[in-house]
Amino acid sequence: METTLSVRHLTKQFESTRALKGINLEVPAGRFVTLLGPSGCGKTTLLRAIAGITDPTAGEIWLAGRRIDALAPEKRNFGMVFQTYALFPHMNVEKNVAFGLEMRNVAKPEIAARVAAALELVGLDQHARRLPRQLSGGQQQRVALARAIVIEPDVLLFDEPLSNLDAKLRDSLREDLRTMQRKLGITSIYVTHDQSEAMALADEIVVMKDGEIVERGTPVDLYRRPRFRFTAEFLGLTNVIEADLSGSECRLPWGAVRKIENPAERASEGIAIRPEDIGIDAAKGEADGVVEQSMFLGASTHYWISAAGQELRVVTAGGQSDILATGQPVKLTLPPALHLLKTFEPAETPA
Amino acid sequence: MAIGMRHSQRTQLWVSLGLYGYLILTLFVPLGVIALWAFYDPAVGWFPPDIVPRSFSLSAWGDVLSDRHILPSALLSFFVSTVVTLLTATLAFPTAWALAQFPFRLKRAVEVFVLAPMIVPGIVVAVSLGEIFFGLGLAGTVQGIILVQTVGTLPLMIRILTATLEGIPNELILAARTLGAPPRVAVMRIALPLAWPGFLAGGLLNFIASFEEFEKSFMVGAPQVQTLAVRLWSYLGGEILVLPTAAAVTFLLLVPMLIIFFIAERLMKEDVMAAGLGKL
Repeated sequence: METTLSVRHLTKQFESTRALKGINLEVPAGRFVTLLGPSGCGKTTLLRAIAGITDPTAGEIWLAGRRIDALAPEKRNFGMVFQTYALFPHMNVEKNVAFGLEMRNVAKPEIAARVAAALELVGLDQHARRLPRQLSGGQQQRVALARAIVIEPDVLLFDEPLSNLDAKLRDSLREDLRTMQRKLGITSIYVTHDQSEAMALADEIVVMKDGEIVERGTPVDLYRRPRFRFTAEFLGLTNVIEADLSGSECRLPWGAVRKIENPAERASEGIAIRPEDIGIDAAKGEADGVVEQSMFLGASTHYWISAAGQELRVVTAGGQSDILATGQPVKLTLPPALHLLKTFEPAETPA
Repeated sequence: MAIGMRHSQRTQLWVSLGLYGYLILTLFVPLGVIALWAFYDPAVGWFPPDIVPRSFSLSAWGDVLSDRHILPSALLSFFVSTVVTLLTATLAFPTAWALAQFPFRLKRAVEVFVLAPMIVPGIVVAVSLGEIFFGLGLAGTVQGIILVQTVGTLPLMIRILTATLEGIPNELILAARTLGAPPRVAVMRIALPLAWPGFLAGGLLNFIASFEEFEKSFMVGAPQVQTLAVRLWSYLGGEILVLPTAAAVTFLLLVPMLIIFFIAERLMKEDVMAAGLGKL
């Protein structure tokens, strides 16, 4: 708990819109935290405020017991990786990586050694003398990463660093990023709108919407047990079903009765069931629903099921059984306990 | 397909013909006429309906080159234009940088303000500035000429540099800041080197503008200090036009311009080559 970053009541007001509405956020040392949300939710503004390149309207930012929100970005010792890489086009790879060390007046031989080590870490030691424009997008982003970690920052900030890369490269760089962050143990804040990226990378996901934090938790918690409908629907596919509640039980439209995991949550938006948690079989006797449409995706098969007027999405693992035909009556298997969702109500008067 | 090809070929032909025609009309025809004037024989004369003079001589060149004032004036012009170009670039950069950072609407307003001096006719500026410079004791001095020319060259340089700096992504500066560079260092290390095409283009235009500037240099400098352009005007003869000598001086003025453009072209080509070889 050494370099804990702490954001308190942070507000950012642009001309007529409030981009951040009193954000409170604690990031423990060494943790990889992802800010996830749709565009315009304030995640990038929050990251830029932490970096010091956007001035917050109100609120405080603390790092390891020291208040830093009034500090210029060059005094914060944060490494930042941008979506556009932001490499200096007139400097070669080596010079780009050395820039932060030169600014810190590190001795020449030490700069050379640390730059070489950083470039080796990102696998670009063979390209030290190249110019950024001679590298692929993925290589450029690796240079940007080397440039950010070589200064041994207190916190690493990522602003959608993989968004400009094609899908395959994105996946491989994502894995590298994760391994590297685990190895170096640098506290990291990572902004993305891509839920699979967030889940793959983060120790903890912070879901944001309209300048507020909706909820936060580990990827597993947020995926399995989201409190809010917004989270459930933003993180992967989900079925939200209107159900009759009675005590700690609920009755689904097609008659099935299940226990509720979290009966304490009263203000209900409905029941959430992940598509992969529903099993389907061709009905031998009485059917729960009918296959409306199916889509074979290799690793999995997606079904659209209509059950007593309720549209359901079901995903089965590929190769498990034959593909069910459209119009096939089916029997549904549900998990023993279901999860209730709340509606996210934006705070009326933000602190 | 074949028709489309022929069509595009014909278009290309017309476009290139048009461009070459324009070049001939605006550059080679005037140069040709000047060349004829510079080399015609005053003893024989050149009268209609002759399209070219009946005989040629070097008498105009003799007149000009025997003038002991030409070389000092040429050297002075080189010195003045170089200093003006450097001074303009130095003064324009901070303004251009500030302009490039401004929010959009405000920027247009300030830009109009900066460019406004270009609208005022040179002679008007020259007369009023001449008076002010006289009051300041700068009349008839080289410093005076340098300053008064810089007044004229600044707006264009600011405009060109602003456009160049606007093309530099803001994130580069922000990245430099997060890496530990204070604002001034970020600008000097990142924005300044990246703006060099703007410096080159603006610098060339400024050098030429300064080299051939007449009104302001005349008002502030003459008669004690005469740049080459001012001296050229004196060859026009005051009351009567002495075309042959003026034509010869025009050629002399053209030489440095050609050298400068040649160097600039080489510089740009080398840059492209360097980029390809990874040397930049």
